[in-house]
Amino acid sequence: MTLLTLLLRPLSLGLWGLVLLYSGLSGRLDLLVRSVFHPLIMGSGLALILLAALEGGRCLRPGTTARQPPPPGRERAALLLSALLALSMLILPPVPSFADLAANRPSGQLEEQELSFVLPPAQRSLSDWARLLRSQPDPALYAGDPVRISGFVLPVPGQPPELARLLVRCCLADATPVGLPVRWPAGQPLPKADQWLALEGVMAIDSAAQPPRSQVIPRRITPIARPRRPFEG
Amino acid sequence: MTLERLATAWAVFQGLVVEAMPFLLLGVAIASIARWLNPGGAWLQRLPSHPLGGPLTGAALGFALPACECGNVPVARRLLAGGAPLATALGFLFAAPVLNPIVLASTWAAFPDRPWLLLARPGGALVLSLVLASLLRLLPEAVLLTPALLEERRLSQPLEAVGLLERRGGVIGAAPSAAVPAAPRRPPLGEALGHGVREFNNLALLLVAGSGIAALVQTLLPRSWLLALGSSPTLSILALMLLAVVVSVCSSVDAFLALGFAAQVTPGALLAFLLLGPVVDLKSIGLFGVLLRPRAIALTTAGAALATLLIGQWVNLWKL
Repeated sequence: MTLLTLLLRPLSLGLWGLVLLYSGLSGRLDLLVRSVFHPLIMGSGLALILLAALEGGRCLRPGTTARQPPPPGRERAALLLSALLALSMLILPPVPSFADLAANRPSGQLEEQELSFVLPPAQRSLSDWARLLRSQPDPALYAGDPVRISGFVLPVPGQPPELARLLVRCCLADATPVGLPVRWPAGQPLPKADQWLALEGVMAIDSAAQPPRSQVIPRRITPIARPRRPFEG
Repeated sequence: MTLERLATAWAVFQGLVVEAMPFLLLGVAIASIARWLNPGGAWLQRLPSHPLGGPLTGAALGFALPACECGNVPVARRLLAGGAPLATALGFLFAAPVLNPIVLASTWAAFPDRPWLLLARPGGALVLSLVLASLLRLLPEAVLLTPALLEERRLSQPLEAVGLLERRGGVIGAAPSAAVPAAPRRPPLGEALGHGVREFNNLALLLVAGSGIAALVQTLLPRSWLLALGSSPTLSILALMLLAVVVSVCSSVDAFLALGFAAQVTPGALLAFLLLGPVVDLKSIGLFGVLLRPRAIALTTAGAALATLLIGQWVNLWKL
């Protein structure tokens, strides 16, 4: 018991290091944080584990107890709670509902400055299309262009669902959706919210909308698994 | 609350924690290395205590010790524990999350088309830190700082700087001695490591608690409610201030988040979001608990909110 109490500090530190490192190695980070931060997070995890090992070794050295008393009751409870939270983060993976998250957020704004060149239509991602449609909204410009995109089904109040992606600048906390209107095949049930789909089809003009807007007419709809890196932007 | 929403809140919580923890580690590392290199912190006591010069010096330290709002709390604690004047330490605490190269570069990257924001954000952060430092200096240290920090700070201060009733030693009636306690020797590396580990563990739990609250609130509160107020000058500022407190995104990337709704809100509201978030948010309010007493935290929150609202209003008058 005394040994465990003595090791609580390095244990808690090491567990948090493990959370950061494991999140990177298991691919969870792809769901949580923009990829530019991944090396920083995994490096910090490794550093925390190393520091915990050093501190653990120091605590076990003979005579340490005399110089450094074990954590008092309140600190012990806090360390236990911290370790339990870290363990639960290791055990319970993040399973966000993108549609639920997106329903709570306003539509993402895509900066037009990034539109330095335009890819051929069939190579454009969903957010490339959304960016293009915002900078040049005239639907006549794109009518008949081939479309090959993937995304999750985002319910839109009062309208058919859109196919959407989340844009993330930092982490899931700031994710905002961008979606494209789709004319879903008539006579078939609408796809379920949060389902991932790959669409192949053409861009068309939705004349029923006021003002007319671009709309994807799918020729092939394939249910797919959520991509390893689901964010765009 | 549905299970699905709870799962989403859990994911948002994990995102906030894993993103913020490296910055917390960076802040604790800076504070620990500074403590090890200069255990007495003699240079800290020589920092200016002038009501204007102190916060400005503290703000300038942000350029030397780039850290966001999670990382700068341990550094500010080190400044205060080492006996640095309140004005400088508070100036650093409130201005450094904005006045550092990383945050300024990200603001420039997000808003190259709004040059006024590149001046208004650091300028506003400086004004905010001056206001808050001046406000908090009105409180006696014993009311402002947590007991543990106050005790550590007393050890680094000359005896005459400590009130008679606050002293733990010395002879009543003796002539005040100008001598600062002899600078302690540099601690062994192992001891410095142990101190850093304790500090990180302590702050990590507070960060996790703050992230949990932030994740729950932002999953339950539809953001569209806040942004629906975007077009009204005063309401838009208040809404974006609330959003900054709730979202709790690190100051080094909040400009990119602000870009997402820049077109929907007034310029004053945009600036208010970029000013208030780095000073006060749900994630860092827990961290403030290692520095300030609850009354001082409440005063900081109210003062920061009021000053941000006024700055935002002024910008709206100027830009609209």
